[in-house]
Amino acid sequence: MQGSALGHFMRESGLWTYAIVNLAHVLGIATLFGSILVLDLRLVGVGRRIPLSALSSAIVPVATAGFCMAAATGVGLLATKATEYVGNPFLLIKFPAIALGLINVAVLKRTEAWRAHYERDLTEQEQRQLAIMGGLSLVCWLTAITAGRMIAYW
Amino acid sequence: MRKLLFVVAAAVALVAPRVVLAHHGWGGYLDAEFEISGTVVTPVSLAGPHATMTIKGTDGHDWLLTLAPPPRTSAAGLKDGMLAVGTKVTAHGHRSRDNNKYEVKTERVTIDGKTYNVYPDRT
Repeated sequence: MQGSALGHFMRESGLWTYAIVNLAHVLGIATLFGSILVLDLRLVGVGRRIPLSALSSAIVPVATAGFCMAAATGVGLLATKATEYVGNPFLLIKFPAIALGLINVAVLKRTEAWRAHYERDLTEQEQRQLAIMGGLSLVCWLTAITAGRMIAYW
Repeated sequence: MRKLLFVVAAAVALVAPRVVLAHHGWGGYLDAEFEISGTVVTPVSLAGPHATMTIKGTDGHDWLLTLAPPPRTSAAGLKDGMLAVGTKVTAHGHRSRDNNKYEVKTERVTIDGKTYNVYPDRT
């Protein structure tokens, strides 16, 4: 990974490259977490008077864009000196947390409750199901962000 | 809900600064001034969050010199790939609090009587 073209680019294309890519990574995370936080809180039960479909249709594309930006720049940051991160325990917390967050999204999108929320009010049971997944989402992303920030301090 | 948020925020506020002190900034390094001489093993690299170089210390250990971020290190006169392997170097700064880690958060390096001060605002 370190020897890849991306790794070379990160190390050899200017003094500010790492800083700028790092900035884009932070912006991606801010976009993802800032948007998904609102949706997850709504799923958990905060702000019930706002229709879920109104929130989700606005938030999902923004969160997706944030994730893509964070993931793409994250690969670059890692490739800069990938060997330095071998054995960093926070990395071993961060990546499973991200994987779990993505699996949670994939599962959520397949639920009847999520499909139905665009068209009708959800039953109590469906709301509870989505609340659990919203809570899990918050835990996953908060864990990923916390562990990610701590990578630098190991 | 509000109570819960407050508890979470308070816990994070209490724990975070301690962890943060572990590496970046100067908290992860001893307060005492530290100096090590040696010869270059890995020349200056201006890649990543901090510029780095490695020297073989007179004590026989390979010391990682963590310099300032790349733009600042470059401004101090240390350019990418500088110094042939084997060049004599003296580094001045603060060593890691971890005794098993041969790392110096470096304030300045002296090569051939010329000093490169990457943190000129620190003495």
